[in-house]
Amino acid sequence: MVTVTTLEERVWDALAGVPDPEIPAVSVVDMGMIREVAVSEGVASVVVLPTFTGCPAIPIIERDVAAAVESVDGVSEARVRTSFDPPWTDDRITEDGRRKLKEFGLAPPTGHGPVLITEIGLPAVARCPFCGSGDTRAENPFGPTPCRALYYCEACRNPFEQFK
Amino acid sequence: MSKALVSLLTALGDDELVLGHRHSEWTGCAPHMEEDVAFSSIAQDEIGHAAAYYSIAAAATGESPDALAFGRDPGEYRHAIVCERPNGDWAFTLARHWLYDNADDVRLAALESASHPELAALARKIRREERYHLIHADTWIKRIVRGPVEGRTKLIDAVSEVYVQALGLFEPVEEEAAAVAEGLLPVPSGEMLARFVERTGNALDELGLPTESHKSAGDTARFEASSSGDLIADDRGEVELSSTTPGVAMGGRAGRHTDDFKELWDVMTVTYRSHPGASW
Repeated sequence: MVTVTTLEERVWDALAGVPDPEIPAVSVVDMGMIREVAVSEGVASVVVLPTFTGCPAIPIIERDVAAAVESVDGVSEARVRTSFDPPWTDDRITEDGRRKLKEFGLAPPTGHGPVLITEIGLPAVARCPFCGSGDTRAENPFGPTPCRALYYCEACRNPFEQFK
Repeated sequence: MSKALVSLLTALGDDELVLGHRHSEWTGCAPHMEEDVAFSSIAQDEIGHAAAYYSIAAAATGESPDALAFGRDPGEYRHAIVCERPNGDWAFTLARHWLYDNADDVRLAALESASHPELAALARKIRREERYHLIHADTWIKRIVRGPVEGRTKLIDAVSEVYVQALGLFEPVEEEAAAVAEGLLPVPSGEMLARFVERTGNALDELGLPTESHKSAGDTARFEASSSGDLIADDRGEVELSSTTPGVAMGGRAGRHTDDFKELWDVMTVTYRSHPGASW
């Protein structure tokens, strides 16, 4: 049996190898940051949805995406565009992406979107990525990058971060 | 190219850039480390929002977003004066943070239905992020209101000082009539101001902070804090709105700024100005 992959599928495969610069354990595809890929006469157009408007990694992602797409056989030019339409939300993260985030030590989003449950706007219970306990407390809705919040696990006494 | 679009985006971007710069001044010297992280992160968000607004404007004019952010003379900036005021103490910082983010939410809610699809999408994206700012500000205001009287008094003083300045956020932008007519700004500034006054008045009522004066906040009211912590409307007659009137801060949307901004601008643009045309 012969498997036929289209040029667009090969572009998607190449994008699956582009890591998120701030969380290299996951790819831009895992994160749901690729809105669309279209190839026409060797020109590949890719639309990227940044997770946060102020993410300083946006130019790096654009560069890495363009390089990966241009390395695909049959692509002569990559046109990468950033868009906020629709806004990126955490429900765009794939199942694979959630598992990889957890392995990386980041609590994945709850999957309920940005529903703000507690007074400081974080999910009331974030599961500790290290020990799995739900006995955690929110420390700060802001963290080391715009997309992360800080938590503390009462069970294993570890601080951890959650993807907002 | 729409002049109204560029004018609106410049005002929006300048508000976020200048206040973002003020927030960033807490990096390394906030009252505790979590707040150091919080204000640094909020600053990064606001400056990122400015970059996004400037990018749409730059695409329309052919300039670079960086030239818009750092390459203009002070008189070409269109932010409200409240954004340029120095951080002062923690109470002033929080009062401004709370009032600004409430005003910004009113504005973003309106822009979500802007006739310019890219601006409307950006407003929806930014508003989701700003929710974290609003909740951060709300949490602090509630904490201080429920705390000891000294903090509460300082907060009331700060809110009364910033409130009138914050009204300057709703000073109409240049070309506003055209922006409204084109659907770029679906809600005129006057209507947004009314929504802001109602919303913050209700919120302050719920917090148990004196609000009678806020509700009378027309363009001519100003407030003073009494030693008992109540807000008293100044009844010495009408106060002309200008950047030179103490406690009032209009004129920013027309490029009139205070000496505070000259100092901020010097710092904010020094690297850009020192190496014209450099590629980083």
